Amino acid sequence: MNGFLAVYRRELLSLWVTPLAWVLLTVFLLLQGAIFYSIITHFASMSEASVDTGPLQAYFGQESIFLLMTLLLVCPALTMRVFAEERRSGTIETLLTAPVTPASVVLGKYSALLTTYALIWAPTLLYVVVLRKTGVVDWGVVGASYLGLLGIGAAYLSLGTLMSAMTKSQLVALLLTIFVEFGSFILGVGEYIFEPGVFRDICAHVSMMSQMEDFSKGILDLRRVVFDGSVTLLGLFVTTRVVDSWRWG
Amino acid sequence: MIQVEDLTKDYGTVVAVRGVSFSVGKGEIVGFLGPNGAGKSTTLRVLAGFLGATSGHVRIAGHDIAKAPLAARRALGYMPESAPLYPEMRVSEYLMFRARLKEVPRTERLRAIGGAMDRAGVSHMAGTVIAHLSKGYRQRVALADALVSNPPLLILDEPTAGLDPNQIRDVRALVKDLGSDRTVLLSTHILSEVEATCERAIVIDRGRLVAEGTIEELRARQRSTGLELRVRDPHAAAEAALTAVFGVSVRSGVTEETAPDRRRLRLGLDAALDADTVTEAVVQALTAAGIGIHALVPEQASLEQVFSALTRHEPSAAPEQSAETA
Ligand SMILES: Nc1ncnc2c1ncn2[C@@H]1O[C@H](COP(=O)(O)OP(=O)(O)OP(=O)(O)O)[C@@H](O)[C@H]1O
Ligand SMILES: [Mg+2]
Repeated sequence: MNGFLAVYRRELLSLWVTPLAWVLLTVFLLLQGAIFYSIITHFASMSEASVDTGPLQAYFGQESIFLLMTLLLVCPALTMRVFAEERRSGTIETLLTAPVTPASVVLGKYSALLTTYALIWAPTLLYVVVLRKTGVVDWGVVGASYLGLLGIGAAYLSLGTLMSAMTKSQLVALLLTIFVEFGSFILGVGEYIFEPGVFRDICAHVSMMSQMEDFSKGILDLRRVVFDGSVTLLGLFVTTRVVDSWRWG
Repeated sequence: MIQVEDLTKDYGTVVAVRGVSFSVGKGEIVGFLGPNGAGKSTTLRVLAGFLGATSGHVRIAGHDIAKAPLAARRALGYMPESAPLYPEMRVSEYLMFRARLKEVPRTERLRAIGGAMDRAGVSHMAGTVIAHLSKGYRQRVALADALVSNPPLLILDEPTAGLDPNQIRDVRALVKDLGSDRTVLLSTHILSEVEATCERAIVIDRGRLVAEGTIEELRARQRSTGLELRVRDPHAAAEAALTAVFGVSVRSGVTEETAPDRRRLRLGLDAALDADTVTEAVVQALTAAGIGIHALVPEQASLEQVFSALTRHEPSAAPEQSAETA
């Protein structure tokens, strides 16, 4: 526990004293701002509005492909250095010779990444505040949507952490993560391509887009939560085994 | 404090350490000596718990590192080769992180960090970002890190590598000072370092332990290969008398300027013969020639000679050897 907290705090500090998190935050907010702005202007020009498609549902749901594309950029960039850099610079040797277990190192680092992810999303709450000034906001939609984003982020960051543990090069970690996460994203797109059947069901099950569409309607689909959770736990478990295996390198 | 039994470590096909056994007692300062690639860092990494042993047993402060890794690591402060640090952190932030990680109680952390910085001489750099420190200061910060939990055992991998002569002297003094109240195992390929700081040395070469003992014991391993003589020899007849002695060659003979009948001789002894027998024959030959012997001193082998004799390889096995014996 001690080790977990120490690793968590150091990782968080390192993320925010270096330019990386700030650059990502800026890029992220610019992109989200652009997406949100175009959705709002689109809605403003519409003559009649239906009940269950407001700008928030569009932002988090039907148009979530834009939002997910920015995640495919931001998440791999956040995770790329987390283990690769420690191994390249050799600091991993000081870290793993302290009285800590590999599990608390992995969890500490991962929690710092997830916190950073949440902090990067936090400013978008302003959009909700803005919308509230002009109309009614369905808080169920807001809550479920952010939960959906947290689930996707948790899974992506876990996979990215694993990729970063596989290599000493940040760049290779970045490319590997983009490859894996983009791959899973493309697999989800299969839902709209394949004929109905087992394969299409699988695609639908892993699809981040349909996850966001469900959640943006305020529907908390437990299967999706379980799926995100399983990917996250599996990624962290394998990462812990990888960290442990370095002793036998 | 350290017991190593039959330790072997391989990296896939490369066997870096093979069957090494040694122990380090409480309060000792021990030098771990060997040429480049001998397996020093590998051994220390196993002791520090960074690498797992392929076979063999290691006990640190009584804890088997395979069975109680955390307890073993709690007892030691480890400084890896080349002192890796996080460049983006400030010195005090880094040491605070390390103190937390090493379970220094919350109320004692500030004092522990202050004490470690004081001993390592980096107190005035507490607020500096590590990326801006010179190599010497980074080395000191790494040393402060090893000290921060006040462990009874320090394992330092080449603590003076890459430092300038002044800093080397400072670090050696610090190690000696630290050794007064704790156990220190430090690796180096510099002999004078061992002579300056350690009571005992363990020499490894190509993964095998080749010698172990106090500095004096190691010196004694190298048989004397020369004699220095001061004689009364008015007719400069010593050289002629000595040519008759088997296994002796006269390296130099100098007449002292202040006293023309006194001379200094340096003799080389054939290494294949027993030095004591040859020395006796030398004395008899000189006495028979009427030469008075005032002093007879066997040449001390320097630690360098011992070291190069211990780690001399057949040229085919290690073509890069010439660099180390030079
Ligand atoms: N990670 C590794 N993978 C494969 N081989 C390695 C690895 N690390 C070290 N070796 C090999 O193990 C042997 C011992 O290396 P080690 O680093 O322990 O030597 P050393 O005594 O510390 O040398 P130096 O004085 O140069 O630091 C060398 O032959 C080296 O090439
Ligand atoms: Mg080394």
